[in-house]
Amino acid sequence: MKRTLLLSCLTLLILSCYPRDSEPFVGNVKFDGTGYRPVYKNPDEISKVEVQAAQALKTPGKIYTFDRFLFINELGKGIHIIDNTDPKKPENLSFVSILGNYDIAVKDNWLYADNFSNLLVIDIANPKVPKVVKSIPNAIPVHNYPPLQGIYFECADEKKGVVVDWEKVDMAKQPKCYR
Amino acid sequence: MKKLIPLLFLGLAAIGLMLLLNACDDGKADSGPSPQTGTGGSMARFAIAENSLYIVSKQSLEVYDINDAANPTKAVTKNMGFGIETIFPYQKNLFIGAMDGMYIYDNAKPNAPVLLSKYTHVFSCDPVVVQGRYAYVTLRAGVTCRTGTAFSSLDVVDISDPAKPQLVGSHRMDSPYGLGVSGNKLFVCEGDKGFRMMDISDPKVPIQKHFFHEVPAYDVIVRNNQLIVTGKGGLYQYKYGDSDSLEYLSKIPVL
Repeated sequence: MKRTLLLSCLTLLILSCYPRDSEPFVGNVKFDGTGYRPVYKNPDEISKVEVQAAQALKTPGKIYTFDRFLFINELGKGIHIIDNTDPKKPENLSFVSILGNYDIAVKDNWLYADNFSNLLVIDIANPKVPKVVKSIPNAIPVHNYPPLQGIYFECADEKKGVVVDWEKVDMAKQPKCYR
Repeated sequence: MKKLIPLLFLGLAAIGLMLLLNACDDGKADSGPSPQTGTGGSMARFAIAENSLYIVSKQSLEVYDINDAANPTKAVTKNMGFGIETIFPYQKNLFIGAMDGMYIYDNAKPNAPVLLSKYTHVFSCDPVVVQGRYAYVTLRAGVTCRTGTAFSSLDVVDISDPAKPQLVGSHRMDSPYGLGVSGNKLFVCEGDKGFRMMDISDPKVPIQKHFFHEVPAYDVIVRNNQLIVTGKGGLYQYKYGDSDSLEYLSKIPVL
């Protein structure tokens, strides 16, 4: 009797190690034929930072003030640099185009900005001509999954590039990843 | 004349208290800058205190040493829970807003913050600002934030002992995003609904003075009686004094 019990326990134990292909991931949500697919960009494209002429605000994000300057994030796109010496007449000086940028901080003449997972150091001694002096890769941990829950998605593949966004698409087959 | 003497004493005491409070403040009272660094809004994931740059990712606090400002070097990573959203340094503490609460770190050694406490609240989206002994936390209900029937609120938390934060009041809000505090004014952004100006002469009990519906507001910076608000409509600047009105200065529109 004891032996049978031991045997069945062992069998169960071993079985529990097998991957169960039939029910991938334990989502409480049933797959409805749609899922999220990563949008990739190659690293060169991402690290391209350009100083451009002043641009109008489109979707302003966070703000930061330093000395007489105002920095306004353009969601995911870069930073507007504004001379705010006279708050009645702020003057738009330049735009630094940085993909994946949402945050800013300044110490002395150095501006720190996120560029997806990279941390950029930008010399703003001359705010009309800001210069990127350094990019620290993987400084900011990012997730390789969509910012949503209860959804299925195609697992991100580092070899294909950096995930910059997620798009909801129709999927014939239930993708492997769920959260 | 006799009647005036107690008043005089009260006045002197008040001035003394203000001087005292300012003295321990090293310039942070206006959610503000030490001379060589700037000021961000309450929604920030980046913050600088002394020679440290703090970055909060969704689940960690990354600390960079910026003594050599052009060459940030990693000092430490503190793994945190989940849903980390904002960071606000104030005096010797870091206040970190997360989806399930507010973390308070001791920051006496800026390159090696130590977790003191966590003020836990219902699941929501919530930046935090601090002035004196009180932290103001907005909790926004919404699809990805607070779910179910819960409503949005502005919580006032006594942080005089940062190891034991205590809720002292909760006020109903519509859909609060960023907020800013300075002196006896607290401004709360309400997204597309506008922003509120509240009086905090009694810092435990914010009293709404005005709700500016015409300016969509996502985040705000308050300092030196100046108010900078951003939102869908662009960036608005105002000046304010002791009265409850705002003087419009300028607007950088969204085009």
